[in-house]
Amino acid sequence: MIGTEHDPQEVTRILFRDFPLWMMVVFYMAAVCALGSFAYGTYAQIRKYRRGVRSGAWSPFVERFVGMVRDVLSHRTVKRRDTSAGIAHAWIFFGFGLLFIGTSVITLEYDILGPLTGLTFWHGRFYLVFSLILDVAGVGLIGALLYMMYRRKWLGLPKLDYARPDRIPEDPDYDRSFYRREDWAFLWILILIAVTGYILEASRLVWLQHDATVWDYRWWSPFGAIIAHFLQAVGVGSEGGAEFRMGLWWFHGLLAFAFIGLIPYTKVKHIFTAMGSLMARDPDAKCHLPMADVDEEKIGFSELTDFTDKYLLNFDACTKCGRCHEACPANAAGYPLSPRDLVLSLRELADDKLSDVRLPEGPIEICGDGVNQIRPETLWSCRTCGACTEICPVGVEHLPMIVQMRRALIEEGEFDPVLQPTLRSLQKSGNALGESRRKRPRWTRKLDFAIKDARAEPVEMLWYVGDYASFDPRSQKVTIAFAEILHEAGVDFGILNEDEQTAANDVRRIGEEGLFQAIAEANIELLAECDFKSIVTTDPHTFNTIKNEYPELGGTYRIEHASAVLERLIREGTIQIPKNLSYRVTYHDPCHLGRLNNGFEPPRHVLSELGADLVEMPRSKDNSFCCGAGGGRIWLPEPPELQKPAEIRVQEAAEIGGLDVLVVNCPKCLNMMEDGVKGSGNENNFRIMELIELVAEAMTAGKPGQDDGAQEAVEVA
Amino acid sequence: MKILVAVKQVSVLDDEFEMRDDGRDVDEDFFEKDLNEFDHFAVEEALLIKEASGGEAEVVIVTVGDDDADDALRTALAKGAERGVRVWDDSLVDADSVTIAKVLAKVVEREDPDMVFTGAQSVDFGHAATGMALAGLLGWPHAAVVSKLDFKPGDENATIHRELEGGLEEIMSVTCPAVLSIQLGINQPRYASLRGIRQARQKPVDELDLSDLGLSAETVKAASRVRRMYAPERGQAEIIEGSVAEQAARLAEIVKELRGA
Ligand code: SF4
Ligand code: SF4
Repeated sequence: MIGTEHDPQEVTRILFRDFPLWMMVVFYMAAVCALGSFAYGTYAQIRKYRRGVRSGAWSPFVERFVGMVRDVLSHRTVKRRDTSAGIAHAWIFFGFGLLFIGTSVITLEYDILGPLTGLTFWHGRFYLVFSLILDVAGVGLIGALLYMMYRRKWLGLPKLDYARPDRIPEDPDYDRSFYRREDWAFLWILILIAVTGYILEASRLVWLQHDATVWDYRWWSPFGAIIAHFLQAVGVGSEGGAEFRMGLWWFHGLLAFAFIGLIPYTKVKHIFTAMGSLMARDPDAKCHLPMADVDEEKIGFSELTDFTDKYLLNFDACTKCGRCHEACPANAAGYPLSPRDLVLSLRELADDKLSDVRLPEGPIEICGDGVNQIRPETLWSCRTCGACTEICPVGVEHLPMIVQMRRALIEEGEFDPVLQPTLRSLQKSGNALGESRRKRPRWTRKLDFAIKDARAEPVEMLWYVGDYASFDPRSQKVTIAFAEILHEAGVDFGILNEDEQTAANDVRRIGEEGLFQAIAEANIELLAECDFKSIVTTDPHTFNTIKNEYPELGGTYRIEHASAVLERLIREGTIQIPKNLSYRVTYHDPCHLGRLNNGFEPPRHVLSELGADLVEMPRSKDNSFCCGAGGGRIWLPEPPELQKPAEIRVQEAAEIGGLDVLVVNCPKCLNMMEDGVKGSGNENNFRIMELIELVAEAMTAGKPGQDDGAQEAVEVA
Repeated sequence: MKILVAVKQVSVLDDEFEMRDDGRDVDEDFFEKDLNEFDHFAVEEALLIKEASGGEAEVVIVTVGDDDADDALRTALAKGAERGVRVWDDSLVDADSVTIAKVLAKVVEREDPDMVFTGAQSVDFGHAATGMALAGLLGWPHAAVVSKLDFKPGDENATIHRELEGGLEEIMSVTCPAVLSIQLGINQPRYASLRGIRQARQKPVDELDLSDLGLSAETVKAASRVRRMYAPERGQAEIIEGSVAEQAARLAEIVKELRGA
């Protein structure tokens, strides 16, 4: 396509042609101002982050950098659970990125490389191809920006609603309309820059329509060319084009400079903060809480400067996408907690207190009723379900922050007094239910065989029973059923009897770190004296902490959840089950087994082996909706005026027509859902059963001459 | 200004238990040890007074008990008391309330506090006598089951409220120093985190024996003694189910049975 009447090397971007000297001077001054503003802003932000405790979260640097680049280029995290927003964001990101790089390359050549080395490359075929790519990218950018506007204005997405559950309208910091204005300003600036870019290109074409090195190649910028033809059609000539070009050139250029200069002071900075935050992301943040030295002077976060640099960066990385807000069970049930608003409050507190040249005198208290402070009831509303931390596209780690702040509250005694007997019972007897140590193995009396004492003799499998499974009357039935299944399957297993204490997952999550460590250490010491190959537990909380948190305290074990053991025993044929349960069931993933530890498949395999007809709820697997028990919330009463998360969940299951059983897989879920099924008026519609109970039922039904248990199955079949 | 709080490590009984071979107490295996519930309130009250005065008071915890009782002492210290005193001698194994009061009286002489608090009673034996005996031995005024207290360091009198039968409330004034036995619910006791309890190991505790206090096994010989402890046969209860007529029939049957008809 390159013609022959001229040297193809002459084809290039017309940049400053016809500019008088003063214009050049003004242009460069504007450029210097923009860069200066950017540089100072960046410095001030970094200074703010460095006022936190050093975390070292960015090392090993190269590895983390490569991982971050992979996440950013694939847009993996941005696309999750919102594909259209993810794709639109990708168009904006790549469109903007390419246009930015294109413009920077020109600058590089024109201002630096050219004058210094005489090297130029911004012409000829390279220029044309690049020009075509940029033209397409620009259209993608504009399309995506328009979609984002449509999404904000017309889709009415609850997650983009900035109403705060943790404040009432009378509170001075209730209003977040600033963010809404900023969002719109951001979209408008970008769209204006992009659109003026096109018209600028078109007017340049019109202006230089007699210059073959420009006009002949116009279709390498197809969209610009179309607009150029349109301009011609409405009667704009070469001169008009020139005037147009001059005006637009300045408008476009100054807007772009303003944009660059404002990056560190506005939400635009998320381009960088999100990358930094993704780089520092701890993949285990949802299931493994940060270790603390309990002998230190203080524990947890009570002042803003107790936060690490990484968390301070997290605050600024948040893009208010609302995914955490939408996923949070506490928020959904009307509790005064939204992980998004928590992070934004902390961001505003940090902007307010840590941005000056000097730090303010005295401690910057985080918790309290003041502006931008976090209210204790907000922190106590959390179920540590990890949904926020897991879904956040920019790697904000709300969950460990919340627990760190709880640690300080526990130390201060700032918590609901009803929690005190629970904590004292844990200190005294190693369980949360106020029961004596001796009582722990009492459920075994209902068995017609003896369970081995793992403290006294070697066993293949050590069963860590857990608090609720040991003491809660409803769960005891499941515990007994599991013992019978293991016994029938001929598994060599044993328990720790009265020496077992809670594994303390929830003790850690409520914020009693000292007690967690003491109990965990005692457990590890006890386990060290026992001879076993692997641990099994029916309790996902126990599973989580032993698997993910005990190794740091010196206890590394092979541990399986009961559902995985059942799946294995069935697969290996140790347990024979006729596919005879023709229930229509749905399955509730326990957070601590599913989202936190990816235990999604074994329970589903077991259900299919039983012959059950599994219908998934809209929210399942990684998006499972917490029953509300986690983080020690099971120990705290739910205020009667609020809906319980379990009721919301049971209602979700009830939407599935003709459901027989809502299958749970955790003693705490069982406890909550049994409540929820009553609270939501569904107790006559379907039953709540543990996976283990279904297996036991199928096994009994499968046995000849034992049609007691089979009755029910037959009835339904 | 100093407030001395006497606390006790109590035994919490399991719901199933066996008696000791001598039949005078429950076998130790069936106990769990804990700081007496009432003492949480007594300690809290002392701490509140200290805090309200801007830390002008020193709170000292005293307990009579063996090493085991350290846990209770540390729990109280972890809440914010300055230091502790623990007195033990094997001859105190069978001590009764008055004997304990004798020991405590010596500690009071040694410490010379401006106020002494005890819990209203212990949850295991419930004599509610130690505070009273202590005041008697010291010749100090005593008020039992204090449910509200108005006192600040330097005051010559303390104003106290006591709840009486029939919903009556009594307001009294006592001259200091005095021994006050603190009732449940007077305040909201704070929680001692395990980390706090561990760190309380750094707080000073004077470990004393009888001779340190000028006492001897002879002087602390208990004047009362448990002869036997046992669980009497339980009465029976039955929930009667069925229709009204069935329930009435069963009731009549039981009445007949009991009358020995
Ligand atoms: S962990 Fe769960 S309950 Fe807690 S803030 Fe996150 S989403 Fe909400
Ligand atoms: S914290 Fe993360 S998930 Fe939540 S709104 Fe901000 S960016 Fe979105």
